[in-house]
Amino acid sequence: MSAPSLPGDAPSVRLGLILVAVLFIGFFLVLPLVAVFAQALAKGLAAYGAAIIEPDAVAAIKLTLLVAAISVPLNVVFGVCAAWAVAKFDFRGKSILVTLIDLPFSVSPVVAGLVYVLLFGAQGWFGPWLMEHGVRIIFAVPGLVLATILVTFPFVARELIPLMQEQGRADEEAALALGASGFRTFLRVTLPNIKWGLLYGVLLCNARAMGEFGAVSVVSGHLRGLTNTVPLHVEILYNEYNFAAAFAVASLLALLALVTLVLKTSLEWKFGYSHRSAR
Amino acid sequence: MISLHNISKSFGAFAALHNIDLAVRDGEFLALLGPSGSGKTTLLRIIAGLAFPDEGEVRFNGEDVTELPVAERKVGFVFQQYALFRHMSVLDNVSFGLSVRPRRRRPSKAKVRARARELLDLVQLDGLGDRYPAQLSGGQQQRVALARALAVEPQLLLLDEPFGALDAKVRKELRRWLRQLHEQMGLTSIFVTHDQEEALELADRVVVLDRGVIEQIGTPEDVYMTPTSGFVSGFVGDCNSLPVQVRAHRAHFEGVVLDVPVARAFDGPGRLDFRPHDIALSVDGGGLPLQVRGVYRRGGHWRVEGTVNGSQRIVEIDLDADQAPPQIGSELAFRITRARVFREQEAV
Repeated sequence: MSAPSLPGDAPSVRLGLILVAVLFIGFFLVLPLVAVFAQALAKGLAAYGAAIIEPDAVAAIKLTLLVAAISVPLNVVFGVCAAWAVAKFDFRGKSILVTLIDLPFSVSPVVAGLVYVLLFGAQGWFGPWLMEHGVRIIFAVPGLVLATILVTFPFVARELIPLMQEQGRADEEAALALGASGFRTFLRVTLPNIKWGLLYGVLLCNARAMGEFGAVSVVSGHLRGLTNTVPLHVEILYNEYNFAAAFAVASLLALLALVTLVLKTSLEWKFGYSHRSAR
Repeated sequence: MISLHNISKSFGAFAALHNIDLAVRDGEFLALLGPSGSGKTTLLRIIAGLAFPDEGEVRFNGEDVTELPVAERKVGFVFQQYALFRHMSVLDNVSFGLSVRPRRRRPSKAKVRARARELLDLVQLDGLGDRYPAQLSGGQQQRVALARALAVEPQLLLLDEPFGALDAKVRKELRRWLRQLHEQMGLTSIFVTHDQEEALELADRVVVLDRGVIEQIGTPEDVYMTPTSGFVSGFVGDCNSLPVQVRAHRAHFEGVVLDVPVARAFDGPGRLDFRPHDIALSVDGGGLPLQVRGVYRRGGHWRVEGTVNGSQRIVEIDLDADQAPPQIGSELAFRITRARVFREQEAV
């Protein structure tokens, strides 16, 4: 009985696997994270504080918050709609829709940014018309929002689709059979059923929206104090060999990641909501 | 009165229902019985307004409601897995139907609560209003689902496999109780089941469905005693089938003439069906020989399983449990006292 019958049962194998995992995570995740904070504080707390309250940094933080504040709610609406459609209805082209939702995961963010330059840039399809009417999209906030939305739109939908599929339509049908309108059914039955999954999706979506670099970089134009988000500001500081300031601002992003992680874990712990499962 | 006229429904290439005509009488307890894939649940959902037919009409009291969505049909629907709102207390679940009414027709909060409490009393769950569905047993959840459906005072109660998820003892209790509730509230009820025993025990009339077609409509007695098709005969109740040749109102099985009358006038190959209890032991040396392979008790009978007439064909017969059970390996002889014969092409 006690003799290990599978290689996986041997203590040496188990220990080896754990060691590999721990070393891997330590080297690729923990070490860089520590390095960020170490570098940020290398010139002392005063320098750290100065780098963060410097006007361009503050402008970048404000802009990042603005972009996230617009794109996250939009993606929540889109994500819920898409998940609802996929999970509760049968229609032609459903599998194509599901595949398309995943597209931002598989396409390079640079391409995502370039698409908008192609559409709305000065030489783009709608560029001349927009210019005539004095609307700026590229090298302005709308472009940043568009690029961010494109890159982050799978997060909420991806989180909700399996959850809603597992829950099925019986609850909604029950509410409708009891005379509830579609909207009331959504508010009182669907939303409570998906709220933890939704929150989880929002959290991930927000983290990515604030941290996105590639797509945003293409459409931003890097105008200091105007179109620089936090990640872009970090890059500029770094390129100017201003390492302490670069890492100080970067540490904000790292902090965001840590806060997200803590919130996510406490959500899972508190409500027993485990990834990809309903209850 | 609910009536269905020429209802057809397909899902892609799969024809779920084909030309269904059905009239449900007021106050009736009707069972839709069939194997999975027979279309019984689809039919129930069409009656409810949760699904819509490709063709045909649904009428409530003569009025065409085919296009009417479920919310406007005033039916109570109890779902297979109950579909209780898990984030709401039992009382809130039961109150739901009244609390989502448009403001004009919505009773006051206090009245809604009072009504919900009454219903919980009715389903014998008083005092459990503050619990959540996950804290209840299966049978209790079932009752909450029922109370919730009844809160909107439906004339018609529709139940999808209402006892499917319950264990045998609870199921039996709930069946009896549901039947009582049906009488007490003067409801018309339609329930879907794949369990023929449940249909026979509970229903006033049974609609037997197979592959999207109604095979028979009748009282439990009709359906059990005089099935009109080979399918109904084999599906409702325990049944033995023997391939026979029919000549001049006599069935021949592997050369043995079975002395049971064949009511139907046809000659040629057919299938003879008989119930395990429609036999008598033969003492004069005639009848069909049965090689006993297994015996077990089934209430007041021995259910004897064996091969018939030296072939590999297995039949089951019931013997009185007052007698000692036959020995395994021994040979009996029996006569069939009551049987039905179907033409081969009908018997599929």
